[in-house]
Amino acid sequence: MFPEVALTGTTREDVGRMAEWLGDGDVNAMWYGLGDDGKPLHHGYSPHLLIDASDEELNLVVDNEDRKIYSVYSQEGDHIGEGQLAIDWPLLEAQLFLLIGRKDLWHHHYGTVAMIRILDEAFETLRLHRVWVDVPEYNEHALQICQHLGFVLEGHMRKSHRKDGEWYDSSTMGLLTEEYARRRDRLMGSPTA
Amino acid sequence: MPVITVNGPIGCGSVTIGQAVANELHLDFVDRLVFTEAAKLVGTPVGVLIDKEQRFERFRDRLGRFVQTMLERSAVSGVSGEPYFGRGIETLPPETYMELAGETTATAHKISDQEFIDATTKVVTDLHRKGNVVIIGRGANRILADAPGVIHVGLLAPIDHRVDVIMHRERFDWEEAQSYVEEVDRARLAFVRKFFKVHADEPTLFHMVLNLEKMEAKTAAAVIVHACGDLSP
Repeated sequence: MFPEVALTGTTREDVGRMAEWLGDGDVNAMWYGLGDDGKPLHHGYSPHLLIDASDEELNLVVDNEDRKIYSVYSQEGDHIGEGQLAIDWPLLEAQLFLLIGRKDLWHHHYGTVAMIRILDEAFETLRLHRVWVDVPEYNEHALQICQHLGFVLEGHMRKSHRKDGEWYDSSTMGLLTEEYARRRDRLMGSPTA
Repeated sequence: MPVITVNGPIGCGSVTIGQAVANELHLDFVDRLVFTEAAKLVGTPVGVLIDKEQRFERFRDRLGRFVQTMLERSAVSGVSGEPYFGRGIETLPPETYMELAGETTATAHKISDQEFIDATTKVVTDLHRKGNVVIIGRGANRILADAPGVIHVGLLAPIDHRVDVIMHRERFDWEEAQSYVEEVDRARLAFVRKFFKVHADEPTLFHMVLNLEKMEAKTAAAVIVHACGDLSP
């Protein structure tokens, strides 16, 4: 069976945990590695900088209509990761990002369930038309989850992701609202690895 | 800088073969990205462009069998139109059948056929200019019909073979898979006929046509890779 997760808004404490997780070599190796300054890279904001930002600056990041940031919590009330939707409103589409920061929970279906919750938000709450992901070749597990969820491979680009000074291929995969609706009912009964 | 277009009905393995060729030759691989990029050019959700492939089919689905039969047999449907959909449906005002199809996204962001084909053509020709790419479907073999440095590959397989592929891939039962394959087949033929005025599987449109019931996907990919040796560097 799948575990339960919930999406919430993001607090300063959540940002702190993101900074901590991304500081772990195993975690940032599956994400975007380190920047030229040696700090772990992230999408939308830099956790290690945002921790010390003013409340106003923090709110600008975590309360942004064009980039929805969700903290992922387990049924036990533990903060376990973060999801984002970077929204292009004129096109009614968003790029989805998800990081399960608690590496002890990797391969226990938390990523799959969190993705489903974020897709529910995208298609049912925000009424978007397309959600897409850009998965680097080194994250095979993410690729498997996206395939399991019904994402359609739209393209594969060579050397499009830079991590730690190296270039990697990536796959762009998309899911349209009607495709998700068809897939949604079948998802919960057949967990991926 | 090879450019390869791969076209075939659903269940032929276009994506698997296209990916294998791209991987072997170190090329980019572009499938539905053609439409997502075209959507950006015209500033509209990608579904509006995809509807251009599928809207007649959706419209038909919403029609009762009786009304559909009446349209197909009526004088307005003509005898020279597309054999499945008939000209009658195309002669209806777009607003009418879009509303019937219930596509709120599409009705909110209409684009003309010309805008659609212009945007798609620009994306495909830009991909060709950049080179080193495998392009799946989307009329790319027609848009690049006479372009240099391109190999156009057609794929085919009997419908039972393709239904079997889709049944396993999508976890459908046989009837669901058959219905889905037939629906997508009709939409694809209508799309190519409408926008490119040809039958999608006309063999003279391709450098080669491969039957995926008679060979493995990896063999087909190897044949295509070998054929790329004919392209001048």
